[in-house]
Amino acid sequence: MRHPQAGAPLSRRRFLGLSAGGALGGAAALSGCAMQVSTGGRSSGETVTMMVKPDDITPELVKQAQKDTGITIIRVDFDITKLIAMLTAGNPPDLVRAVGATDAAYFAARDVMQELDPYFAKSSVLRLDDLDPVNDLWRYDGKTQGKGPRYGMAKDFSQDSMFWYNTSAFDEKGVDYPAELEPITYEEWLDNAGRLVQRSKGQTTVFGGSYNGLTKGTLLASMTAAAGGSLFSDDFSRVDFTTPEARKALGWYIEYCRTKVGPSAIQPDPNGWDGPTYQAGRIAMSNAGYWMGGLINTDRKLAEVSRLAPAPVFEGGPRISSCQGGTGMWMPRKARNKDAAWRIFEWYFGEAPAKSRASGGWGIPTLKSLRSLMPAQEDYQKRVLKVQENELEHFSVVAFSPYTTGDSFEALFNQAAPAAMKGDISVDTLAGRLNSAINEQLKRGKEQVG
Amino acid sequence: MTATSLNPKPPVRVRIRVNRLVLYTVLVVVTGLFLGPFGWLVLTGLKTSAETAAAPVHWVPEVFQWHNFADAYKLIDFLGYARNSLIIALIYAVLVTLSSAWVGYGFARLDAPGKKTLFGILIGSMMLPQMITLLPTYLIFAKLGMVDTYWPWVLWGLSAAPYLVFLFRQFFAGLPRELEEAAIVDGCGYAQIFWRIFLPQSWPVLSASFVIAFTWTWGDYIAPQLLLSTDRTTLAVAVMTSYVTTGGQPVTNLQAAGSVMYVVPILLIFLIAQRGFVAGMSTSGLK
Repeated sequence: MRHPQAGAPLSRRRFLGLSAGGALGGAAALSGCAMQVSTGGRSSGETVTMMVKPDDITPELVKQAQKDTGITIIRVDFDITKLIAMLTAGNPPDLVRAVGATDAAYFAARDVMQELDPYFAKSSVLRLDDLDPVNDLWRYDGKTQGKGPRYGMAKDFSQDSMFWYNTSAFDEKGVDYPAELEPITYEEWLDNAGRLVQRSKGQTTVFGGSYNGLTKGTLLASMTAAAGGSLFSDDFSRVDFTTPEARKALGWYIEYCRTKVGPSAIQPDPNGWDGPTYQAGRIAMSNAGYWMGGLINTDRKLAEVSRLAPAPVFEGGPRISSCQGGTGMWMPRKARNKDAAWRIFEWYFGEAPAKSRASGGWGIPTLKSLRSLMPAQEDYQKRVLKVQENELEHFSVVAFSPYTTGDSFEALFNQAAPAAMKGDISVDTLAGRLNSAINEQLKRGKEQVG
Repeated sequence: MTATSLNPKPPVRVRIRVNRLVLYTVLVVVTGLFLGPFGWLVLTGLKTSAETAAAPVHWVPEVFQWHNFADAYKLIDFLGYARNSLIIALIYAVLVTLSSAWVGYGFARLDAPGKKTLFGILIGSMMLPQMITLLPTYLIFAKLGMVDTYWPWVLWGLSAAPYLVFLFRQFFAGLPRELEEAAIVDGCGYAQIFWRIFLPQSWPVLSASFVIAFTWTWGDYIAPQLLLSTDRTTLAVAVMTSYVTTGGQPVTNLQAAGSVMYVVPILLIFLIAQRGFVAGMSTSGLK
């Protein structure tokens, strides 16, 4: 039975009216709370929003920036989805962190970056003649990375094809140490890794070596260059893994994975990176550049048995030693507070934070004038520095395509490559599959750029 | 000798004991499976950095590194981030529980043309992955000037959640019509019926809804990461992103210790509200 009042239009309207009123009332009641929390603790002076990772700008540095420049930094966690959302909404951060090797050309080609040449020209802190060549990763002339206007700057860098090795692991297996100033070949590296690997009951207890680069895209582009070729076409709109040089690089990497001498997609290191595993004495050779010295130096015992070695070469190939990262910052074209952002840029890359980074050993400073701050108090630090200084003579920029991100390239590679790593398909088949998948991606990217 | 005496059945008491033994064994195994990852997290939080990378695996740390928990607490503004999480979770859980109860009541007790279709659309919206709406969500809140404030959680709370609406609708639909009719005879309108008759009856489902909503928000990574700045974000985001070396690489043992501390409030809330939670889920027809 339906009661006369039930379902009557008036009551329903009242019900809906009450719903709306309740919503507004609830919002009003909670608004004080929400707004109070959201606006607390910020000064009313000039502010610069930086999209960074926690290690880029610590809370202590935020305070120091306020003291040194009078500018308040608002940190926003770096997140590519959020960055795209902010750019789309027209309220981008004032400064954004990015990986120079893979992101600089990508964003510059999409015309969202501010050209910084006029700022550099006027700066007494960041002088052009003091910039390390690694900062050329942040240049793009509309076609090629490494030339043209500057869009950003690296905070520090390493030559990421170099590797660290643990002399104890070499002694234990009676393997000769790699030379410190002359490179070994990739074939010798793999041979050493095979002799150094230790297994027990089907488990790898000590990795002979780890060689995965910063991203697969930059790793394979660098290795192809070391074989004397280029992974990308002249206009960066295509890759070709079937050229003899790219095939050589790809074949070497797949062989490294297939033999399971080190971490890879088919034998992942649960730690996700080499640091803790190397510290635990479970990696004999680690493909990490100078920056990992920041970690190694915190453990004196480990530092005393650790050596840095030059980037390997291919037999008959040129000696090159590129930077696969060059992480730094750029300023969006639509940044709201460009002058304040540039002041923070100068402070971050040329003043107290830059000096602190240089002396910490977590990378080579990107201003030549700060190199004297690199750690060289202990014998093991002097030895590493000598190797690094020698390696700098072989630095070169290996350009990456502006039509894909490093992450997209990596994802496509990781979909196709495990079959070859397991021996289910040949390297030639893999090369063909990678060409199809990545070229399709590059085609879409080029269409977006126009 | 009879056949029975040749193949004697065990006494009933023995059979019950055997059945219980099997049942408890299965329960212990299943509990172990569920607790395993959390146990591993706790153990990782008590290891040195080198032990997390050891092979063969060090299941139990040689020396328990209790200071990892203190370090994890001190390395970030743990209390500050926890406070942010708590505020957001409370705002959302209180509002969404009330608004979902209100909407669920409407769907359970009111009649209107298109009610079934509307309910179908509401339930269908549960199938929409959060990722799809990320960018539009950001753009809307950016246009409204609500980015880096807690207003989005107020609005989300006021707009009810489909799953909770379903929960309340099922519960309210099960209450006897006579209650409502008696109230109407006494002169109550729908709002009074809701507040005076239905809500007081629905503590179990209110409790379940609150726990679910609080847990969603406490554990949400995507929305705070998208909408809040680093200093105003939640513990979920901070624990995930902040335990890194100077070079930006994760510090696994501190991350594990921080994660254990991050989970504790949720466990406490569940332990306190578990009776109501279980009753709420079972009385709403969802089992």
